[in-house]
Amino acid sequence: MGAMVKAAVGQRPAASGHQRAAEGRVLVAMSGGVDSSVAAALLVEQGWEVVGATMRLFCYGDGPVPDRPCCSLDSIHDARAVADRLGVPHYVLNLEDRFGRDVVADFVAEYARGRTPIPCVRCNSFTKFTDLLAHADALGCDAIATGHYAQASGGALWRGCDRAKDQSYFLWGIRREVVARMVTPVGGLTKAETRAAARRHGLATAEKPESQEICFVPDGDYVAVLERHLGEEAAALAPGPLVTTSGDVIGQHAGFARYTVGQRRGLPGGRSRPLHVVAIRPDTREVVVGEADKLLSWSLGLEAVNWLDEPLGPGAACEVQVRHRAAAVPAVVAFASEDRLDLRLLEPARAVAPGQSGVLYRDARVLGGGVIG
Amino acid sequence: MAIRRIYLDHAATTPVRTEVREAMLPFLGEEAFGNPSSGHHFGRAARAGLEAARKRIADALGAQVREIFFTSGGTEADNQAILGCVIAHHGTDLSKAHIVTSPIEHKAVLGALHEAQRMGARATMLGVDANGVVDLDALAELLEGRGERGKPCVVSVMWVNNETGVIQPVTRIAELCRAAGVPFHTDAVQAFGKLPVHLGGLPGVTMCSISAHKIGGPKGVGAIFVRDGKGVASLLHGGGQQRGLRPGTENVPGAVALGRAAELAAKEQPATARALGAIRDAAQAALAQRLPDLVVHSAGTERGPNILNVSAPDTDSETMLMHLDLAGLACSSGSACSTGSVRPSHVLSAMGVAEPVAVAAVRLSFGSLSSPDQVPHIAETYAAVVAKVRQLRAVLART
Repeated sequence: MGAMVKAAVGQRPAASGHQRAAEGRVLVAMSGGVDSSVAAALLVEQGWEVVGATMRLFCYGDGPVPDRPCCSLDSIHDARAVADRLGVPHYVLNLEDRFGRDVVADFVAEYARGRTPIPCVRCNSFTKFTDLLAHADALGCDAIATGHYAQASGGALWRGCDRAKDQSYFLWGIRREVVARMVTPVGGLTKAETRAAARRHGLATAEKPESQEICFVPDGDYVAVLERHLGEEAAALAPGPLVTTSGDVIGQHAGFARYTVGQRRGLPGGRSRPLHVVAIRPDTREVVVGEADKLLSWSLGLEAVNWLDEPLGPGAACEVQVRHRAAAVPAVVAFASEDRLDLRLLEPARAVAPGQSGVLYRDARVLGGGVIG
Repeated sequence: MAIRRIYLDHAATTPVRTEVREAMLPFLGEEAFGNPSSGHHFGRAARAGLEAARKRIADALGAQVREIFFTSGGTEADNQAILGCVIAHHGTDLSKAHIVTSPIEHKAVLGALHEAQRMGARATMLGVDANGVVDLDALAELLEGRGERGKPCVVSVMWVNNETGVIQPVTRIAELCRAAGVPFHTDAVQAFGKLPVHLGGLPGVTMCSISAHKIGGPKGVGAIFVRDGKGVASLLHGGGQQRGLRPGTENVPGAVALGRAAELAAKEQPATARALGAIRDAAQAALAQRLPDLVVHSAGTERGPNILNVSAPDTDSETMLMHLDLAGLACSSGSACSTGSVRPSHVLSAMGVAEPVAVAAVRLSFGSLSSPDQVPHIAETYAAVVAKVRQLRAVLART
């Protein structure tokens, strides 16, 4: 962990008292998990007029594994139970068509292009903080709240206080003016504090286990989702050559969409140093493999750039984080245009995968981000 | 700011009437708590209340005491009628069983039907017209039993539809079934108390379901009328209560409450129908005036007096209901589905209502908490919500 990351641990936004004073009606996106449950409870406690909403995003029973908790109505029931307990209204918003269009279709298309998408980023940018916000506006809500471990304060976005749970990496794509309307009640808590708050409020979701997987991907089997959408014959799922960085074909793979840059699983073993995927070439269906040193990047290009602070120009310094769990590394802007940003890294970043997000920070503050090109 | 809350969901449930609550109380306390099957003093007191309630229900329906069986509600009564009748006729082999019903039935009937089908029975759905009225010619033909499925062993058609309020030609269906010698069940859960329900004058009705909580009684108790108390098999097995047809210690306070509620519902029915009909018609007119493109479902035929089901084009019922609730109007989308499902109602679909119109349906149902002076506020609020939802849809369509 770099020095800069350590500095961010436990840091709260410069503006003291990151929790906004109650300012009227707030729409709380309640997933049925403990974090958003506590978000709702804390807002009620702070005097907000809370309206709870659970987004219905996909299948719920039409999929291959209808009984899976996330794909059933359990989450809706849990969210409703919490809302009932808190004495606030709760509604189900059907955003299935829009989620399918903006998130699932993009997820599939990105894998088909040999990239590794993050649907949660798209969901935040499009579904939660655009569509849900439109509902919030129509309902006369002044603000919109979620259970994210991130802190919105004074129109700026900051890392969550619990650095182990920090979810700011997924939030860079929100429109800047929306951040001013975000309320992040658990952003200043640790997970343990959140669970304690849930118990204090007697919430049914207090002991609910963590869900780490992508909500619409049953059992983490994203390939099955791709097979369903692309068909098993799709190029991305068809065999192709495994090649080394020097161009030698060393075997076959079962479809490049099964691989992600940095991955070791599914590659030939028995070598002195393990192989990793270092690149995917969808045009030739090649999965390029190499040793660990080939995974280090000293530069980075971002597309679809969005700023949550004043845009940075060439020569400006920041830190960039290229994976959810990775440490941010110091960087300098080499090129900047309307929606593109090239960065020179002062420390190498490992396993930079096209389709993942590059999120720009200064200390704990989120400056913006983009999709790694 | 306190909002004015108006309850417009009486077809879902109603508050318990004071007279009903008072009638129940002795059976909840030390006075008459006994088990009605007990031979001692305490049992006798409970049994007296239970049987007096049965008599009240029989009188209210124009039936005999031995024809009334208490159930846990409308759903059990419907299951009892359909499955009980099918099993009584066919025993454990349902492969020859043929059930005729309509696609606009309550889920309690359709659910029982599916269970019978799962056990081998076959089903025929009567068609309905654009107002949701069943096709009598098709029924007459089916009753002749010349089709491959043979003569039906039971016909089930609801009296008043819970979503649109459409009234079915129960008298005619009863006559046809009687002439064919086929048992006829009608779910009168929505009809009872709103329309005259006199089973004595309808010998062709062999089974009829009612529920307490739609008529000012408590939830969890209902009754099934079974003509002559014969012709249906029991679905529950245990003691000999209710002549073995429906074993289990009776819900005495519930039964007493249903007895009192049924008595009042029957007595007050003409006045109730007049009062609610006037409110419903005024609300329909006021809404149509503010929303010229409003679609009123089943408007082209006779409806029960308490139900108004409307679609404002370019809206959807889930969003409507949420906004209506926050604006103080408690409505429903007809069939209670709280899960954000966008599937149009099976009733409106069967009527051939186009999907974009069907998914916008909102049911307003009037009852004891309704009054004519609510109508202007209802219309104003409803129209404002429609405008808001349309604006939201326009915003979403741009992104």
